[in-house]
Amino acid sequence: MDNAIEPGSVRLMEASALEALFTSLDGAGYRVIGPTVRDGAIVLAELTAVGDLPFGWGVQLEPGGYRLRRRDDTAAFGHSAGPGSWKQFLHPPREKLWSARLAEGGFEIEQAGSDSGPDPEPRLAFFGVRPCDLRAIQIQDQVLGSGSGNSRYAARRAAVLIVAVNCTEPGETCFCASMGTGPEAGPGYDLALTELVSGERHGFLVDVGTEAGASVLAGVPLTRADAAVTDRARSAVADASQQMGRTMPAAGLHELMAESTDAARWDDVASRCLTCGNCTLACPTCFCTTVEDLTDLTGDHAERWQHWASCFDLDFSYLHGGPVRASASSRYRQWLTHKLGTWHDQFGSSGCVGCGRCIVWCPVGIDITEEVAALEAEAQGRKAQDAETQGDA
Amino acid sequence: MSQATAPALPARYQVVERQEETHDTVTLCLRPVDQPIPEYRPGQFTMLYAPGIGEVPISISGTGPDLGLVQTIRAVGAVTRALCACTPGRMIGVRGPYGTDWNVASAAGDDLLIVAGGIGLAPLRGALLAALGHRELYRRVVVLAGARSPEELVFARELDRWHRDGAEVAVTVDQAAAGWTGHVGVVTQLIGRADVDSARTTALICGPEVMMRLTARELRALGVPAARIRVSVERNMRCGVAECGHCQLGPLLLCRDGPVIGYEVAMPLLAIREL
Amino acid sequence: MSGVTPADLAGHAFLRGMADGDLAVLSRLCWVAPVRRGHLFFTEGDAAHRFWLICSGHVALDLTAPGGRELIVETLGQGDLLGLSWFVPPYQWQFSATAVHDTTTFEFNADAVRAACESEAGLGYELLQRVMAAALSRLQATRVRMLDLYGASGAVRGGP
Repeated sequence: MDNAIEPGSVRLMEASALEALFTSLDGAGYRVIGPTVRDGAIVLAELTAVGDLPFGWGVQLEPGGYRLRRRDDTAAFGHSAGPGSWKQFLHPPREKLWSARLAEGGFEIEQAGSDSGPDPEPRLAFFGVRPCDLRAIQIQDQVLGSGSGNSRYAARRAAVLIVAVNCTEPGETCFCASMGTGPEAGPGYDLALTELVSGERHGFLVDVGTEAGASVLAGVPLTRADAAVTDRARSAVADASQQMGRTMPAAGLHELMAESTDAARWDDVASRCLTCGNCTLACPTCFCTTVEDLTDLTGDHAERWQHWASCFDLDFSYLHGGPVRASASSRYRQWLTHKLGTWHDQFGSSGCVGCGRCIVWCPVGIDITEEVAALEAEAQGRKAQDAETQGDA
Repeated sequence: MSQATAPALPARYQVVERQEETHDTVTLCLRPVDQPIPEYRPGQFTMLYAPGIGEVPISISGTGPDLGLVQTIRAVGAVTRALCACTPGRMIGVRGPYGTDWNVASAAGDDLLIVAGGIGLAPLRGALLAALGHRELYRRVVVLAGARSPEELVFARELDRWHRDGAEVAVTVDQAAAGWTGHVGVVTQLIGRADVDSARTTALICGPEVMMRLTARELRALGVPAARIRVSVERNMRCGVAECGHCQLGPLLLCRDGPVIGYEVAMPLLAIREL
Repeated sequence: MSGVTPADLAGHAFLRGMADGDLAVLSRLCWVAPVRRGHLFFTEGDAAHRFWLICSGHVALDLTAPGGRELIVETLGQGDLLGLSWFVPPYQWQFSATAVHDTTTFEFNADAVRAACESEAGLGYELLQRVMAAALSRLQATRVRMLDLYGASGAVRGGP
């Protein structure tokens, strides 16, 4: 155990030391949120003990399919694409914006923000953030944290400690490598763990990202990582990028979306899409919300609530007596072209991190990597046809 | 409570005057009860809150006395009906101002052509008044307004004053009974008659999307530069601050990149079905 | 004899670009006709023996509805052709036309112009193109008015 841990340092931690890490987090005032098995899935929830982690649990993923399976080792992070993402904690599904007293003379805002009143936002430690999800958090930071309206997001975000986990075993539906978001965590974590399980040995390579990360390691038994172990860990992550279940075209998605406005493929996917919006719920970057104004029965008290909304809802685009996007085709097109295309125009990056949740959690198994490949083929076909026509002319 | 965690709250404004424009459209003159919202630029909008009922985006039609606002509302749903029913003394909420503006000053030296369809005249009124307030900066100031019928013309009582202040005003209606001495026809039919100097015209258009498309097309056919034509586009709006995702039009978030958009950006987007 | 020269007609927007020879023929078949506000050009149902090119002023085409109400169908002004029914059978006015303001026009002998078109195919085609353009423009405008874009009700709201 040594004290001089600085950002940029690398250490080795035995799995048995997780107990001490949890104690340290608790002592620093953090509530730990991480993966745990519940109702047949690995969900993100508050962890009260190290034992809550899903040791030995893995998942079997396919379009429209998710199954827990027993691993033949005790890895705690050998799974991916759970139904929830970290956005439910930073950008809650339901949130009261303010309440007001109504009277004959008008109204008076009583309280802005949640019922927690003047208390600061709870300090959360996100334990087990995959590289794709780390990128997703950063994407939402750009959308929600930078503007004038949502200082609530910024306050919650500032109170979060991120313990990332590098991936060594991508799921069947993962494609973070082709989206440039993994399998290695990019900058932005406080700590990053790489799990190493082999026979009886179970440990984590720990990369220290920030002072905050370094400080929670105080009191946690650590050793210096030797070159062999470090290499093993790094190689495992590097190899993972070759084992992705799926791929997306490396570049040109923005242009492809822009030129696919009239693609026939949209009608094709629409014939399968239920417009249920599961993809928007599962997606870690989808951020759309709506507001609802409520009064109580006496009419004296009003509240404004914000809750998640989906562009697949018909009333999402309601204007002058009807939706702008009525057909399933137009709504699916909106979602995908926003995620992969116009997100760049609006926020300066792609909206997709390659986590694969939309593929897994779509009840009919629509796979966006497949849809993009089809759109790409259609675009190529159009270009070839145009070239031919021009050649004839 | 911590200022840092406060969401965008409606500012309290009181109705000081209520003017019925047509059977379903009302102009409210509002005055701030507490701090006023920041100064607006013509073309921008606010989110108006009918206490306990809800919020809608409404273009600002102009300013009123005491740092007040003038806003024209058409009753088409629960919130707008409640706002239209507000009588002087009632208090409503205002958030904003949001969005892009008409950039009237950029038309200095040009013929300023304002083409309005129906209630589209409301977002344009502010631009017109701004121009008339500095009349010497512009060559001709021409207002072409279309309405369903003479009874459904908004700001009808102001037309004479606009004329006195230096605007040429022509009105056309879709239908009229004898006794109407104005035009009967569509607003695009007034454009040729206005005979503006196309190459030196800045055109501001607002109205139903079909009307804006046809008007822009007519102006382009006459040679008005594409870079000098602006339209005001609507979509469902909820937050007004580019965080709820509702007001998207392709790559644009209309509460932030609109509602006033240049022709070159707007037309390709408006041509896409169900965008 | 009519007092109208080909040059006079050449300046009218409706005849823009017409060849001098054709203008010469037309100039012999028309005369300058100023009228006062309220003047009735023609009445619905009458035979169409005349047509007009408006030089200045404001004319309303209207229809009489039960109860003596007159509904204005369209208004025309400088540069417009007044009258379309003279060009095709049964040569009968479908609407009435009233001067809303004092108006000046070139008034034409429609029967003579039709006869001239029969004998001079070039003139006929020139007029046909122009009459068709005027009719098309008004048809398109009328279709847009029928959409009732400024109306409040749902489906055809004129929104996206």
